[in-house]
Amino acid sequence: MTKVVTMKEAVAEHVNDGDFLFIGGYICRTPFAAIHEIIRQGKRELTLTRSNAADDFDMMIGAGVVKRFIATFLSLGFFGLGRCYRRSIEKGIPHKIEVEEYTNLSLPMMLMAGAMGMPFVPVKDMAGSDLMNVKSFMGDNKYKMIDSPFDGSPTIVVPALNPDVAIIHVQQADELGNAQVWGIGGDCQVGANAAKKVIVSCERIVSRDIIGKDPSRTIVPDFRVVAVVEEPFGAHPGYTPGFYDVDFTFGYQYQQASNTVESFQEFLDEWVFGLNSRAEYIQHYIERFGYSAFKGLQAEFDYGYPVSYTY
Amino acid sequence: MKQQSRDYTKPELIACCGAREIRDYDVVLVGTGFPTMCANIATHTHAPNARLMQESGVYDAQPKRPALSVGDPCLNPGAAMIGTLVDIMGMFLQAGWVDVGFLSGSQVDKYGNINTTAIGDYDNPKSRLPGSGGANPIGSLARRVLIIALHDTRRLAERVNFITTPGYIDGPGAREKWGLPADTGPEVIITNKAVLRFDKATGEAYLATYHPDTSIEEVRENTPWDLKVVDDVHETEPPTEEELRVLREVLDPSRKLSAYERRGYV
Repeated sequence: MTKVVTMKEAVAEHVNDGDFLFIGGYICRTPFAAIHEIIRQGKRELTLTRSNAADDFDMMIGAGVVKRFIATFLSLGFFGLGRCYRRSIEKGIPHKIEVEEYTNLSLPMMLMAGAMGMPFVPVKDMAGSDLMNVKSFMGDNKYKMIDSPFDGSPTIVVPALNPDVAIIHVQQADELGNAQVWGIGGDCQVGANAAKKVIVSCERIVSRDIIGKDPSRTIVPDFRVVAVVEEPFGAHPGYTPGFYDVDFTFGYQYQQASNTVESFQEFLDEWVFGLNSRAEYIQHYIERFGYSAFKGLQAEFDYGYPVSYTY
Repeated sequence: MKQQSRDYTKPELIACCGAREIRDYDVVLVGTGFPTMCANIATHTHAPNARLMQESGVYDAQPKRPALSVGDPCLNPGAAMIGTLVDIMGMFLQAGWVDVGFLSGSQVDKYGNINTTAIGDYDNPKSRLPGSGGANPIGSLARRVLIIALHDTRRLAERVNFITTPGYIDGPGAREKWGLPADTGPEVIITNKAVLRFDKATGEAYLATYHPDTSIEEVRENTPWDLKVVDDVHETEPPTEEELRVLREVLDPSRKLSAYERRGYV
């Protein structure tokens, strides 16, 4: 049976208040359509995680849907510090979120452990830094120092993470959820496979036959997936290799808008609350910036050798 | 004889100082911006066999413009391998294959510890900064760590108020005590005024060279600890004609590097 639904349906059915969400992306393939829908539906008290969070997490924090953040990093990249993140931590606006600090080694390893069914995993970082001295909602379970059972050397172990739901954006998937990516991976595969349920947002739905033409690209198999949503332009203003480029102009607009509470709210009203779906978002984008700006982001094609698996 | 140029900007000089730290055949894990630019100058000049990777999963990228982040789309086409965070940070960095880690720091102290987490009290910070990202593991596990920082008494510190990324922590023996791999740690702090190197016996940074338009006195005045000066201290060698040609014509024709002048790298 097909798992294809709208984003509105996927988020309403599978994302609950208080859930622990992994949200994939690395500027590359950020599931922005899902993020806007979560904000529109007014989800509350979410715990979020991903290595290297960016404008998407900043927006959710500013919109007040986040309670806790298992973090390594949050910035707007080229556009500097996350304004909503700063307001939350420094001024409690709209409220102060709780942050558990890890790194881009330890967090992906914790998700990998979760994906592999391992209870915990040793990591070689964090030692000697103040990351060992700050503990938030995970308390003493943030990490443990043990003597290696093999050679007695001091070893840091960190717990496995198993999010309630993972939301990822990919280039293509079939109707049952076999999800395929190319380009920068970040922690998308371990994050998705660590979660109890996976929502796949994709640029295009393809047939099972097309998936089988290059099965090495599949990062999540269908039996792990609960919903598939076709959302062209779904990662904008991030990018999706083979589809569209990162939109620096829009990134700058988000930075400017998020500078104050008022202009951030206006941004949400215009781009999130004022629109009902990604299709309306694309339409609004074209009305605001012109078709040439939209077209200008589209990918060029420079194919290599196609792969073949047939004898 | 290398031709030296008199016509260069401060960010270009800093980028060249960084490039010179990279040796041929080094495996280099780079952060965004300055570090990437430095490493690319090296691969186009004296270190053609050095190989770069970004934590996001990219190995040996061939970008057509300067990458603005470690997840930049320009890193994808032409790379030799694109994997995941677990591949780069686990399989290559944690497993001990990375020769050089290249970081920039909001606040750096005399032991090469870096703070990118918070300015002021952690629980009620004056400024919340991004956090570790890949910096902590890179600083913990790369054999030679290169740090780029702005040189003033606010950005440099006797002790950072939060160690996001360990340098020599609180002095000799500290990295070993914490079980960090042998023969790892900060190699150099490159600033807009000077190049500081580390005395491995004390873990402390000292003045190695000062940039052409500064002086030992000016550098020491802008350093908030009693900066030791090495006996053979001298002026930093300016960029060569070849380094500048690569930087301006090949790597950064749109002069993205000039953004660092606006950010105070002058």
